[in-house]
Amino acid sequence: MKEWSLSVQGICKSYGAKQALQPTNEVFDEHSFTCIVGRSGCGKTTLLRLLCGLEKSDAGVIELPRGKRIAPVFQEPRLMPWLNVGENITLAAQHDKSLDTGRLPELLRLLELEGTEKLYPNQLSGGMAQRVSLGRTLFYNPDIILMDEPFSALDYFTRQGLQQTLLRLYAEERKTIIFVTHDVEEALLLGDRVLIMDSGRVREALPVKLPRPRQAADSDFQLLRQKILQAL
Amino acid sequence: MSKKILRGLLLPLLVLLAWQLVTAKGVFSAYLLPTPMQVWEAFGELWASGLLLQHLFVSLRRVFLGFTISCCLAVPLGILCGQSRRFDSYCWLLLEFLRHVPPLAAVPLIILWAGIGEASKLTIIVLASFFPLFLNTYSGIHNCDKRLLEVGQTLGFTLREQIMRIRIPAALTSIVVGMQLALGYSWRALIGAELIAASAGIGYLILDAEEMSRPDVVIVGMLAIGIIGTAIDCIFLLLMRRVFPWQQGWQR
Repeated sequence: MKEWSLSVQGICKSYGAKQALQPTNEVFDEHSFTCIVGRSGCGKTTLLRLLCGLEKSDAGVIELPRGKRIAPVFQEPRLMPWLNVGENITLAAQHDKSLDTGRLPELLRLLELEGTEKLYPNQLSGGMAQRVSLGRTLFYNPDIILMDEPFSALDYFTRQGLQQTLLRLYAEERKTIIFVTHDVEEALLLGDRVLIMDSGRVREALPVKLPRPRQAADSDFQLLRQKILQAL
Repeated sequence: MSKKILRGLLLPLLVLLAWQLVTAKGVFSAYLLPTPMQVWEAFGELWASGLLLQHLFVSLRRVFLGFTISCCLAVPLGILCGQSRRFDSYCWLLLEFLRHVPPLAAVPLIILWAGIGEASKLTIIVLASFFPLFLNTYSGIHNCDKRLLEVGQTLGFTLREQIMRIRIPAALTSIVVGMQLALGYSWRALIGAELIAASAGIGYLILDAEEMSRPDVVIVGMLAIGIIGTAIDCIFLLLMRRVFPWQQGWQR
């Protein structure tokens, strides 16, 4: 049962003469997993940056109930090089003292990072660094997680592993997730709904009612994949 | 001993050998270029009398005092200018002007105002070491990776937290490089200051030796400066490796 939602009404963004995001209306329900797909430059990252407050919208409003937190996982891990894994994950505690650093072992287990607590970012593989980045966002305990192509720079197997980790996290923690990707298969494997973006606007919203775990070889999966590719 | 140190010693040994050959053949008179043995004996004499250590101690004390004052001024000012564009816009022109005036050009004025005591030497050291430290601090703070700042922003960091938790730690390596440079500059400026007006210190020892026609003592002084400078640099690098374990590049 949803209790609240994040809604955007008429938000848009231009950079000089270029309209990166056309006026957009959308609602993201609590516990939903939305994937946004589109070609490079279609406005998906701009939408995410507006949602997490890194950019200011030229117009419109973003409505989120008071007290609800929103935090992104970036495309690159963006770890603080001077902090070790444990300190990077619990970074938010340096601002919000109410966050419990005792959660660290649980997060390390959840993200399969046990034993790496004292390592520094330059000692981690790309996949491990991205897990730490995800851990940092989870430690902040946001109600909504925005993910901007977080697995795009990783190799196939690492990406698959992280997709499974994310699905497990979603099942356990029931966060609201908005996941940007340019990979149609990834969107269908993960999301409950796929927003197709093109030229700065949401062209279509497609519900994905396939049971999990999903298989890319399934005919229904392939059908949806074709549909999205045609829309793109 | 590591291969690197052994390789590094090769050229100085060759220079020593050439020096020995040139002086043994009598190419230059002993007054112009004493033999390595003469220099060694002069060193032994200065060491035994305690004069060398006494002068070195005076010089080192000046360097560290001047360097500390410089750190106290340059680092906070670099952080302020690097962080606040507004503050920087008030300071940049004056700082840019001062940066281009070599400290030695200000020596007559410094002596006029501060006399020939410790204050004038400290002023010269501070002037010489301020800018490498200030500029490195400034660029470290100013050029902080925006992507890291965005992480702080999305975790709700306040401006103060952004500075204390992200900008300053991110700038530390740059600040430390500035310190390393500043220490070298301090050391060089000190010798200049002591050559002009001093009654103690390694620069004074060299000047005094020149007046006494003791080129061997001059060379002992020069060698002491080089060795101490290199040693300070090595200790600094070792410390940095300990203090910043995430940083791989702390080597020459």
